[in-house]
Amino acid sequence: MEQIPILEMRDIVKTFNGVQVLKKVNFEVRKGEVHALMGENGAGKSTLIKILTGIYPKDNGEIYINGERKEINSRSDAAKCGISVIYQELSLISTLTVAQNVMLGKEDSKVGFLKRRKMKEEVQKLIDLYGFHIDADAPVETLTIAQRQTVEILKALSEESQVIIMDEPTASLSARESESLFEIIQQLREKGVSIIYISHRLEEVYRLSDRLTVLRDGTKEAVLTKEQINPTEVIRLMIGKELSEATASNQLCHSKQETVLKVKELTRKGVFQNVSFELHRGEILGFGGLMGAGRTEVMRCIFGADTYDSGEIYFKGKKVLGKVSDMIGLGFGLVPEDRRNQGFIPLLAIEKNVALTNYDSLAQKGFVKGRDEKQLGIQMVESLDIRPGNPQIPVGNLSGGNQQKAVLGKWLSRDLKVLIVDEPTAGIDIGAKDEVYKLLDNLAKQGTSVIVVSSDLQELLRVSHRILVMRKGTIFKEFASGRITQEDILMAASGIEEGGK
Amino acid sequence: MMKKNTDIRGLLMRSQKLWIILAIIIVLTVLQPGVFLTGANFKSILLSISIYGVMVCGTIFTILLGGIDLSVGAVAAASGAVCVKYIVNNGNTGSSALIGVLLGLGFGILVGLLHGIIVARFGVPAFLVTLASQNIVYGIAQLITNNKVISIMEPEGFIFLGGGRLLGVPFSIYIMLIATIISYIILNRTVYGRHIFAVGGNTQASDLSGIHSNRVKIIAYIASSFTAALAGIVLASMNRQAIAKAAQGYENDVLTAIVLGGVSLMGGEGNIQGAIWGALLVGIISNALRLMGIPSSYHGVVKGIVIIAAVALDAYVRYRNSGLKRSRVRSKAVN
Repeated sequence: MEQIPILEMRDIVKTFNGVQVLKKVNFEVRKGEVHALMGENGAGKSTLIKILTGIYPKDNGEIYINGERKEINSRSDAAKCGISVIYQELSLISTLTVAQNVMLGKEDSKVGFLKRRKMKEEVQKLIDLYGFHIDADAPVETLTIAQRQTVEILKALSEESQVIIMDEPTASLSARESESLFEIIQQLREKGVSIIYISHRLEEVYRLSDRLTVLRDGTKEAVLTKEQINPTEVIRLMIGKELSEATASNQLCHSKQETVLKVKELTRKGVFQNVSFELHRGEILGFGGLMGAGRTEVMRCIFGADTYDSGEIYFKGKKVLGKVSDMIGLGFGLVPEDRRNQGFIPLLAIEKNVALTNYDSLAQKGFVKGRDEKQLGIQMVESLDIRPGNPQIPVGNLSGGNQQKAVLGKWLSRDLKVLIVDEPTAGIDIGAKDEVYKLLDNLAKQGTSVIVVSSDLQELLRVSHRILVMRKGTIFKEFASGRITQEDILMAASGIEEGGK
Repeated sequence: MMKKNTDIRGLLMRSQKLWIILAIIIVLTVLQPGVFLTGANFKSILLSISIYGVMVCGTIFTILLGGIDLSVGAVAAASGAVCVKYIVNNGNTGSSALIGVLLGLGFGILVGLLHGIIVARFGVPAFLVTLASQNIVYGIAQLITNNKVISIMEPEGFIFLGGGRLLGVPFSIYIMLIATIISYIILNRTVYGRHIFAVGGNTQASDLSGIHSNRVKIIAYIASSFTAALAGIVLASMNRQAIAKAAQGYENDVLTAIVLGGVSLMGGEGNIQGAIWGALLVGIISNALRLMGIPSSYHGVVKGIVIIAAVALDAYVRYRNSGLKRSRVRSKAVN
């Protein structure tokens, strides 16, 4: 393997709204290697990639391609440097054929007329070269997700990319499809293409990567070579704690208290089917599973934000069929997964965001009781330790952790019976995470039932009293007692039923 | 750090408007001694903005929600026509005037309700809905007036709305002031006002906070058409006539005022004070252009340049503060 890096990023600094998300990060990729980029949500992975691909400008730092300094100010700059990205959401035009998609934006033409046959041949040549199993004439809409990904890769190859970035490429693939993707990656590597591989699935990363860079809180934590990569070490680097502490989990136990919420055979066609579970008073119920397993959708239906096709929801024995406002009235709260788009109003002050769900008590005959509103703001800022500690600051200007506290603040002054938190600590730093966990623990102790949806296995183990694992829209497994490990959850989430247990 | 930033920016934005107005006043005072800086002239400026000033008070709701209402001019004309026609057909009595006014306002409310339902429930962009409805309502105004001028000289009570004076000040200025105060109270002191800023700032998050965002939108479009109808009635009274073209193009002045007032077209940001300042700025500019004897053909050009400059500045400031701007100058590290 050559030692001159094909790509080098030096001292990259990036600040958003006063929050430094990348603090002098160095990142280096060699020719023909699969280089995994690891880190928890919010560690700065996607920001780094977006800087590399010209989507975000960097505040500071340098990028070198083959030892030559480059300014990458747009996607086309990135393409010229031989860098392309396979996005999580594929960016193909489904009505066009494979060849048309691959050649999109760089069509070969003569006085404005397309040279169709030549373009097709070119794409076919590329397909043959890499030995992909795909028809250049097939419309993209007839392809499977995995095949579409191949088209994306072809697109990158047709631009003579030297570095292909894959962001969670297996997120929506079946096990078999993933295997064929790994084969493709292998072929690319042999042809000297470098791959930056981003995935939350540790086992894939261990298997594929030649080297691995760990980011944590916007700094580079370590670069490991294949020999040095081992799961415990990587996890330790990612979360910055000793493993013993990090995996210290609650003893699971099935609550004996009264049932607060009962969900019976809830079905939303094509999204989830026959989801049934019970939630007890003062219980923290964890929902594990992979992205797209249907957990968020179930929660939104329970909260009244979406409709479902069949099934029933009972709250304290009474059937409910409510809109969001009715559910809030019953004592439900939701901290949504997509915090930025669904959690808060960025332009509004902390106090006004927190007040949003509380005007039943903060207003009289439609007029806001201004003093009470301010009081609540101060109270929430203090009790949640939101920083900076000024309730007048727009929530959009806060850091991720403080934003999440503000979102939690919307519910905490209510007489909360059921709080649903969806990926509660995504993109927030460790310190704030711990505060969120403590908060959830305390709520449960006071009798609120909490549902925690999380893809973070440690988090699930840390907070849950009981864990349900969803897979492909159904509840696949329940862990109600004993001690379990991350592997147990991961296996259930991937659909592997272990024997004996 | 962050607090300081927003404070300075807010102060700049606010005082910007004051400075501009102040500078224009000083320049004009010097250029037109004894003509511009007089009570009479200022009354005439206020009078000239009083009609669309009233419209601003309701239309700002739709803008704060990230929507728009292009139909206000047409609604004003049609409502004025409904009102005047009823009064004239019913013997110009005091009671017919009352009913006429109520009918005019009712017409506005109905149009607003339809706008709101189509925008909120069917998800059609407000721009399209109100653009189409501008044509429809203008057509209605033509039908009602039969494309003729309907004059109205009585009853006195009706004529007082737009033509009367109280303590030497035209009554329509009072109407604008009252509308401004009511709009201020709604936006700043009521739950509905809070909901407007919430829905305008982030509809999804508002829905998940239990706010019926569709209802909030529908009410906003009703408010917008209601103030348009009110303005149209006052205008008819001021002109002592109803005519289909009465308030043609007023939507431009209304939107100019709102945008100049620092209200974001993206929704969620702005206030009524700013919008009224914007209206005043437009009024002063028009007045100045007239006083300086600049032919009216140029007025549109000047107003257009002012609005583009204001919006561009706003967009630029926002972009610069977002962290997405590419700059050759290395920004200082925060913390």
